[in-house]
Amino acid sequence: MDPLIITQILNILFGVTTLAMIALGLAITFGMLGVLNLAHGEFVMMGAFCALVVDRAGAPFLLAVPLALLVCGGVGLVVELLLIRPLYRRPFDTLVATWGLSLLLRKLAEAGFGLGFNSVAVPLAGTTTLFGTDYPTYRLVLIVICIAIIAALFAWYGTSRAGLKIKAMVGNPDLARALGMPVKRLATTTFVVGSCLAGLAGVMVAPLVPVHPYLGLDYVIKSFFVLVVGGLGSVLGVVAGTGVIGGLDSVMSALFGSTQAYFTVLVVAILFLWLKPRGLFAHG
Amino acid sequence: MANLGTLVALLVLPFAVGDYWTYQLGLYYLYAMVAVGLGLCWGQAGFLPLGQAMFFGISAYLSAILLKAMPGSYLIYLLLPLAALASGVLALLIGLMVFRRDGGSGPFFSLITLALSMLAFQIASNWNSVTGGFNGLAGIPSLPGIDDFRANYYLAAVALVVVLTLATWLYRAPLGVLWRAIAQNERRVALFGFNPHRYKAIAFAVSGFFAGLAGALYAPQQGLVSPQVVGFAFSAELLVWTAVGGRGRLYGPVLGTLLVGSMTGEMRDGVPYWEVIMAGFFMLVVLVFPQGVIGLFTPVTDRLRRSFDRARQRARIEAPARAEVAAQEPLTIEAARVSASGINILNDLTVAFPPKGVACVIGPNGAGKTSTFNLITGELPASAGSVKVGALDITNQAPYQVARLGFGRKLQAPSVFPELSIGDNLAIALWSNGARPLDLLRLSLRRWSSPIIAELAMRYAFLGKEESPASDLSHGERQILELAMALAVQPRILLLDEPCAGLSADETSRAVDVIRWAAERLGNAVIIIEHDMALVRRIADRVMVLHNGALLAEGSVADIQANPAVQAVYVGGQK
Repeated sequence: MDPLIITQILNILFGVTTLAMIALGLAITFGMLGVLNLAHGEFVMMGAFCALVVDRAGAPFLLAVPLALLVCGGVGLVVELLLIRPLYRRPFDTLVATWGLSLLLRKLAEAGFGLGFNSVAVPLAGTTTLFGTDYPTYRLVLIVICIAIIAALFAWYGTSRAGLKIKAMVGNPDLARALGMPVKRLATTTFVVGSCLAGLAGVMVAPLVPVHPYLGLDYVIKSFFVLVVGGLGSVLGVVAGTGVIGGLDSVMSALFGSTQAYFTVLVVAILFLWLKPRGLFAHG
Repeated sequence: MANLGTLVALLVLPFAVGDYWTYQLGLYYLYAMVAVGLGLCWGQAGFLPLGQAMFFGISAYLSAILLKAMPGSYLIYLLLPLAALASGVLALLIGLMVFRRDGGSGPFFSLITLALSMLAFQIASNWNSVTGGFNGLAGIPSLPGIDDFRANYYLAAVALVVVLTLATWLYRAPLGVLWRAIAQNERRVALFGFNPHRYKAIAFAVSGFFAGLAGALYAPQQGLVSPQVVGFAFSAELLVWTAVGGRGRLYGPVLGTLLVGSMTGEMRDGVPYWEVIMAGFFMLVVLVFPQGVIGLFTPVTDRLRRSFDRARQRARIEAPARAEVAAQEPLTIEAARVSASGINILNDLTVAFPPKGVACVIGPNGAGKTSTFNLITGELPASAGSVKVGALDITNQAPYQVARLGFGRKLQAPSVFPELSIGDNLAIALWSNGARPLDLLRLSLRRWSSPIIAELAMRYAFLGKEESPASDLSHGERQILELAMALAVQPRILLLDEPCAGLSADETSRAVDVIRWAAERLGNAVIIIEHDMALVRRIADRVMVLHNGALLAEGSVADIQANPAVQAVYVGGQK
């Protein structure tokens, strides 16, 4: 096959898997807790800045992972306790409050690092030959890691007791509490896990994109579209939604350019929001 | 009154604040107009648009193109309102198309408006031949006769007061009451025969028009229109201002825009961390002070207004009587089947309710009693069978359409509008059969009353306390209020779902008297779901027993009590 086509296919695969990784964290907070967290992108941004800090300090890249988990998990914990918990079941207020949070986090990053674009050195520089074409090793590794994490979550949510408990909590919080489930702690944990996943995604993409305070905005909007197309409440939905949105974005970018791709994604997202708000798999 | 004061204040303000602020405020008045519209949607009608900048921007581009095409022509004063109207019509169409879908007016609507605003930004930045692309349209001539920043200031001030006056009127009119009612309990509004989607779309259209008006004036005032005016960032800023100022009150968004907006413009560069502080402050307002800054003043202004209103007690106006229907007709359900997620709720239910008198529907839990009501009022779709009044087929009509045919309903759990006054709660019921759509703009409708309500108020004194909010009422009083609302509609067919649940024996007995009295006075059909057999014995002319979604037996109370099949179901002898 034409090496150019293989490169394009790998690019699309890369775009889709990283988007899925970012959407996954949002799927956990939005899909499971029903929290429309507009600041989710800022957790991705914080993860990316963790990678930047580690890179500037000259420490090994992998150190960024525990740092991002610590920072994003910690911020996520505080945010859940102070901001999200009082606003459960008030979707508009959550939307507005998390928008305020995203503003706060962006401005803090701006105050700390400035508005400029920063770059992080790519770990595992170099290429690997695959099907007769050279492809950056780091991207290949990312694709594999993303797929592994998604598969692991898929297995965990479907089979574990914790997954069942979360389903019960979302289905009927009052009954779950009456049955002695620590609903509040469960919600906090879920939110923190979602935040950590976002931070992790931020670390992953940091070497490949310009790192700046507004990094998260694009991701969060696209992730919301993924969830809308895929429908809430299942890992499969996230994968399908990312396939549609990420695939469309990558294919249209390759064929016509990024503006047209963005345009198409917006139109498709609006159509889904309007006509099929519960996603591809909803019946009736 | 308040608006007149505002106008005077805005007109003398330039003498106090100097040229620089006069120039700045002229711009922020335009922004405040958009924020008022956002407050109307969010604080009154209860949905949150996230792309309000789009309507501002589209009209600004239209205005810029017109001004550049015909510089100096006074015709522009006729065309600019049309540009604003274009935004309003666009909002109306979006509202009509989106609200009736599954996503309704919840967060999905917000995301749609957000995405539309981003789409508009893309179009504005890339359609070079029309919008000037990313750099926008520059060198827009000013309006003829408006040649300096001071004149622009006065124009913006007048425009803002016009918007405030229109909004004041809408907030006070029955339409505003309906918006607030929809925000509290959309289903209940639909059961009174109002199409909630349409009224929300109207609210959205008004907000789009306000934004459009501001946008149309923005182009000549600033001389430059760039894609930022349609974008998400501006929409989000408007949201912050509206929330901080106070979305629930007319003046809240104005206050927020003028305080936060104009101060941010000043402080952004001077004070370090200003925007961080503002973001934190904003979150704090959402969390602990949802009424916003205006909430600090409302206790005082409300008291003033109340004492003012008391000083001139206004007479009630009698609502027009319902147009007489030729004859009462029976309600028949034919082989109706209703299912949800694979379970059959109603299995070929066939039952006929007589055109007059009190019929009681009884049956064990899960028999399909409330579902039968939901089928009749159009809230549960039938997959087969039909529902008819006389010869008129009403199967699967929308709830508001069914309600308009003369159906009144009282829900099982009392569902009044807690944040509206008792008087407004009752008035909504009166409007539901007496008001034509345009009447909803007439302020006098707020004072409507009817003989039935007057007679009910004789029996229940609390119904006369028109000014106090329904949230002050006890559970029992809310049951009575909802019953009164259902009766005030003067329905041909009245559906009561356990009207006496949660009432004491004494209260139940009074309520039964009222229902009996109303059935005779209105000469209509009353269908009651009831568990309490003692009550059924007192009130029912006819009893229908439902079991497993089908009619098990029908007859007089004595017939039913003697029926072995019914006994078996209730004792549990057979399935």
